[in-house]
Amino acid sequence: MVDATSQFFEELGHRGHEPLLQKTRGTLQVDLVNGKETEHWLVSVDKGDIDVSHRDGKADCTVRTRRELFDGLARGEVNAMAAMLRGTLGVEGDFELLVLFQRLFPGPQDATARAKP
Amino acid sequence: MSGPLVQILDGNTFVVSDDRGDIEASLTDPTGLFSFDTRFLSKWVLTIDGQKLNPLSMDDLNYFETRFFLVPGTGTVYVDSKLSVIRQRAVGNGFHEELTILNHEDQPVELTVRIDAECDFADLFEVKDALEKKGTYETSVDSGELVLGYKRETFGRRTKISSSSPGRIDEHGITFELRIDPHGKWTTELDVVTALLLSGVTHERTKHDTNGRRRKSVMETNLERWLEEAPRVECDWDSLKSTYRRSLVDLAALRFSPPIAGGRSLPAAGLPWFMTMFGRDSIFTSLQALPFTPELAATTLRALGDWQGTRVDDFRDEDPGRILHELRYGELPAFEERPHSPYFGTADATPLYVVLLDEYERWTGDTRLVRDVEQEARAALNWIDEYADLMGNGYISYKRRNEETGLENQCWKDSWDSISYRDGRLPGFPRATCELQGYAFDAKMRGARLARRVWKDTTLADRLEKEAAALKRRFNRDFWVEDGEYFALALDPDGNQVDALSSNNGHLLWSGIVDKSKAKAVARHLLGPRLFSGWGVRTLAGGEARYNPIGYHVGTVWPFDTSFIAWGLRRYGFKEEAAQLAAGILDAAEFFEGRLPEAFGGYERSVTRYPVQYPTACSPQAWSTGAPLLLLRTMLGLEPIGEHLVIDPALPAGIGHLEVLDIPGCWGRVDAFARGRVDVRSGRGLRPQLGSTTAMQSERSR
Repeated sequence: MVDATSQFFEELGHRGHEPLLQKTRGTLQVDLVNGKETEHWLVSVDKGDIDVSHRDGKADCTVRTRRELFDGLARGEVNAMAAMLRGTLGVEGDFELLVLFQRLFPGPQDATARAKP
Repeated sequence: MSGPLVQILDGNTFVVSDDRGDIEASLTDPTGLFSFDTRFLSKWVLTIDGQKLNPLSMDDLNYFETRFFLVPGTGTVYVDSKLSVIRQRAVGNGFHEELTILNHEDQPVELTVRIDAECDFADLFEVKDALEKKGTYETSVDSGELVLGYKRETFGRRTKISSSSPGRIDEHGITFELRIDPHGKWTTELDVVTALLLSGVTHERTKHDTNGRRRKSVMETNLERWLEEAPRVECDWDSLKSTYRRSLVDLAALRFSPPIAGGRSLPAAGLPWFMTMFGRDSIFTSLQALPFTPELAATTLRALGDWQGTRVDDFRDEDPGRILHELRYGELPAFEERPHSPYFGTADATPLYVVLLDEYERWTGDTRLVRDVEQEARAALNWIDEYADLMGNGYISYKRRNEETGLENQCWKDSWDSISYRDGRLPGFPRATCELQGYAFDAKMRGARLARRVWKDTTLADRLEKEAAALKRRFNRDFWVEDGEYFALALDPDGNQVDALSSNNGHLLWSGIVDKSKAKAVARHLLGPRLFSGWGVRTLAGGEARYNPIGYHVGTVWPFDTSFIAWGLRRYGFKEEAAQLAAGILDAAEFFEGRLPEAFGGYERSVTRYPVQYPTACSPQAWSTGAPLLLLRTMLGLEPIGEHLVIDPALPAGIGHLEVLDIPGCWGRVDAFARGRVDVRSGRGLRPQLGSTTAMQSERSR
């Protein structure tokens, strides 16, 4: 079974281009702590073109959290900004990049508003 | 608590104290040191030998710095004091306080000086709503510092207090046992540092300019530069010059640099509750300030664009393309007990975002920014049609999805009773207030211009113009109240008119949605006895069932509202009427020493003779601060056309000449001059009153 986090990053990698990040440039490192292990994801964005890898490279913004919490983000159950304010999601470096990146997380499943058909 | 509240601030950090410099807050009392929407000090009381001090005088040195002169003694009659105490406080990150005690006697004195400190770490929302805390407090004395802390799960906030002179620190404060020589003095520097614990890492906020004095001078230089770079105003009416200067200084104080803006600033909404990014307030204030400080608009557009909604989230009332209402950093948003992370429940900020973008480009010619936020502007335009038309009738309407903590009224008149029928009944939801349709029309027209000029997308431009024309046609049919000759305040869920007469009609002129043939009737109402108080335009007309001259959105005059109405009158050629509104508000500003409150009473000017401040109005308030700036623009008739600034002045009676020098824009810098019909007699404080309900002069202006 593929978990929400892996699925999120894999889909992002396959997409190759993300219109919501059309004007964005930068690299975001995501460090996910799971017990004693830390899993690294590195997302490079170049005007919407996206590359996802497991490299542990130099990033403009580093996000660090428990893997479980990131699963919640990837499923639309957790809000990134609230998590950051609570201190459960750590951010270092360019905060603007996280604000832009969080556009990619889905919304809650139970949302009622819909665009016009 | 003695005496008036004193406020000093820097960005979203501010101190509210009494006139001795003491802070003694209760849960519901808004005094304290606040930062990032959290109170970091709720008690800060100075005593000498167990006695509080008496205030002699107080100097606001700057918006970020105050000096308190104090003497010991408890009586009401001043007795020659043998001691003077000076507290000089500057807000930076936390605050820095220099405490000096002077001994005027020929004898040495021995004193016990004590600072009591406490903190409740209340979230601003808790202070407003008097809620209980859920976390735990921890206090410690650690290597010469008093550390006050609060923790709830992973959420941590801390206040560190230290002194340059050695004192005895305990868990409730610092004590100094002193001996001061004859005619000698004693000084200590107290530092209060705020810290946020984020993911186990402590983020202290004083470390770039640790020394309070250095920090201060950076802020001083910054303020001086801000004032130097703004245009100069010359006028034979001194009050206007001082109102202008007050506005610039207050606007500097209200600047707020959100963590994503790379040190650039946008206007926060107001003090003390609203030192944060608000979609509506930041946009309106940026619009008002465009001819003077266009950089505020640029930051507003970038920051609001970054935070634009991208998903459907009922708790936050978020939709794709929606521009945020309010962003907060405190404990309640952190634990999702309030939705402000950010909250999106506003129906006007999204179309206004496009309006600001176009107006900004027209002034500055900065097409690069228009290209950078193209996607956000397109998404905003898309939101109007795809997500905001809740009734499927082609109009923007609102109904909150967060029933518990969301906002009921998502227009600028956001109090519970602001939208009513003539007879006082309140409509159900969704509500389509009229000004929203004006903003949508304007956004489409301006979006079309940007699409054609910058994005090179004529298909989009054509479509937007077609939609705008259709919207205008429908609107002038559906909202027009035939028997009153004005536009209804809203349409209710059944599509019926919410038929009260309100100031919103002025925003419709500003947006351009009003048919030319109807404009004269609308202008007549705006300057007529039911809406015009003599100082400005009442939010709700006299004679409506809910009219109340001190009702928040049902009868008070809001200077910001009137300033946009003046702009609207200019748009339809009513120059004299616009000048009359400018005169009323600027006269009122003189009574408030240049600092217009958020709102003042809608009483008839001829009755009260002075503007009566609304009881709990927040001050300084960004869009009130911006009102005189916009009124300068409307009096001079400033309009950017291509690479030129067109000047078409109409001054109110009583202003002889007015100059605004070095107006920045895509033309470089230009000067604007205007001459009035009447010169001010020298030595007179107030210009002749313009009368409360002088007959309209629309014939002359057309």
